[in-house]
Amino acid sequence: MVYFINDVITGALIGLLYALVAMGFVVIYRASKVFNFAQGELVIIGGFIVWFTTLELGLNLWLSIPLSLVLAGVVGYLIERIFLTRLIGESVFSMVMVTIGLLILLRGVVLLLFGPAVRPFPIIFPLKPLFLGDMLIPMNLLIGGILTIVAAVGLSWFFNRTRSGLRMTAVAEDHVVASSMGISVKGSIAFAWILGAVLSTIGAMIFLSGKSLTFLASEIGFAALPVALLAGLESIGGLILAGIIIGVIQSLTTNYLDPYVGGSLGSVVPYVIMLAILLIRPTGLFGWRTIERV
Amino acid sequence: MDPSGVFPTSYRADRRVVRTRWQALALLLFLAVMLAAPHLAGGRIIAVLNLMLISAVIAVGLQICTGYAGQINLGQAAFMGVGAYTAAILASRFGLTFLLTIPLSGVAAALFGFLFGLTAARIKGFYLALTTIAAQFIFHFAVLNLPGSWLGGSNGITVPPAELFGFRFVTETSQFYLNLIVAGVMIAGAFGIIRSRFGRAFVAVRDDDVAAGIMGINVAATKANAFLIGAFYAGVGGALWAYMIRFVAVDQFTLFHSIFFVAMIIVGGMGSIVGALIGVFVIRIIQEIIATVGPNIADSVSFLGGDIVFAGMNVILGGIIALFMIVEPKGLMHRWNILKSSYRIWPFPY
Repeated sequence: MVYFINDVITGALIGLLYALVAMGFVVIYRASKVFNFAQGELVIIGGFIVWFTTLELGLNLWLSIPLSLVLAGVVGYLIERIFLTRLIGESVFSMVMVTIGLLILLRGVVLLLFGPAVRPFPIIFPLKPLFLGDMLIPMNLLIGGILTIVAAVGLSWFFNRTRSGLRMTAVAEDHVVASSMGISVKGSIAFAWILGAVLSTIGAMIFLSGKSLTFLASEIGFAALPVALLAGLESIGGLILAGIIIGVIQSLTTNYLDPYVGGSLGSVVPYVIMLAILLIRPTGLFGWRTIERV
Repeated sequence: MDPSGVFPTSYRADRRVVRTRWQALALLLFLAVMLAAPHLAGGRIIAVLNLMLISAVIAVGLQICTGYAGQINLGQAAFMGVGAYTAAILASRFGLTFLLTIPLSGVAAALFGFLFGLTAARIKGFYLALTTIAAQFIFHFAVLNLPGSWLGGSNGITVPPAELFGFRFVTETSQFYLNLIVAGVMIAGAFGIIRSRFGRAFVAVRDDDVAAGIMGINVAATKANAFLIGAFYAGVGGALWAYMIRFVAVDQFTLFHSIFFVAMIIVGGMGSIVGALIGVFVIRIIQEIIATVGPNIADSVSFLGGDIVFAGMNVILGGIIALFMIVEPKGLMHRWNILKSSYRIWPFPY
């Protein structure tokens, strides 16, 4: 029984990590209507920036983490400036296609700059797990989970309650309508990408803390996809619940079903859930239901 | 896209694929060159041509799905993989002739694709693209985790060569003719599909699915059909791939390969079969150049290691996708059409 509860808690915390990466998707979608396929690549770029500032430059963690976040924001801004600003006014289809191009472009750039070697990642969160009775909870995931909840509540408030957040929501509704109301589509998309890159970097710190860093870490971008869809692409607060649901189901599948089927069923279960959601309730749990006019 | 003053005067003329004598001449010349290619060129070029023909079948399928019906498809390599595995299993375990395995591979892939296209009944917009990513992951999972005796697991499956009346397609030249015939049939079929009512329904759904639905088109069925046809082409291409490489393994059909196919239709031009062929030609040439030049650069810049080819290919192809979407979203075919209509009406501006 203790093991069961432990699996549930660990699963929920991993789910919250997925939710944090998925938050990158949702923030970019919520402020620009662009679905960013290159989210996983933003995570590894964030990871490499943290590695570079901490281990290559040898800065103190208190200095290197803020610096990394600023650098990540700059990268996000540059991506937006170079690729997406030029597409404002084109169809959303083109923007989504560009992010597919970015997916392989960014991965290639990371490989060219840093090579395929496996690198150590700095220990940002204490390695020692937290013992609760017989249960043990990984410290990085615990702190990450708390950060995720704080970020989700904060961003949810920002997008639903503040004036500038609501402007961005209008951009996500329709670029043309938003700009004719005097809202800067350019500014909104730039903000979205900066925020998306920063969130991805935080996700990379939690995910990779004390582990090794290779470009394979970008897989987490696609692992976070089902969470974003279960929550509904427009809902930031919903990510917490969706992340916990997916994380717990995945953890239980890995621990209780995998020994019988003899394979990594746990890694594919989220995608099966994703297909089921898309069939049963395509808007996700908390997404917007839109009414279309011709 | 004809210049003003040039228009068909009958339905027959409007439906024609080859519209002018020059086009007929160019087509005949192209076919003649293709038929003679193995006698004109050396081994390496034939190998590249083989790859181009197979990619052409797959890219034309993607063109119908994405270019004509407007459904982003990031699972084309998975559909190709389903076809390749079907061909491999039917040929190696049941000893079926390639005359049967190639169409059956197409059917298997089409069913797999249709399964994901079915979600179109509930989902609109590019959410549909996400199900194709799920297809990619589920395909990998199924191959790697089902019992090894079914799909070969991570070891892959060795495929016997295609055989007809005792003749074995083992040399690159014989495979070239096999690929040429199949690709020719498939591409001719594609021209038929896009001129039929299905093709017109695809274009209507792409341009505005709500309006298309009001005009009486069954939008969900049309989208599912687009996936079905696109995946059928991928399956046939996959079967040809299995017979050419004679070995299938799961890492031949990754998300990256899917994106390469997307790059082909973007470069060539969305919504044009000829555009897809041009895209295949351009992208495969670029890949060939990188694969040839890459190792030399890797020798001189040693710290980059052997992955420079893969990395360079990703950077250049990703850059090309972004560049084309920004500078010329309609692709090379559109440029060519502009050029064509401007010389047809020369010296007048329009």
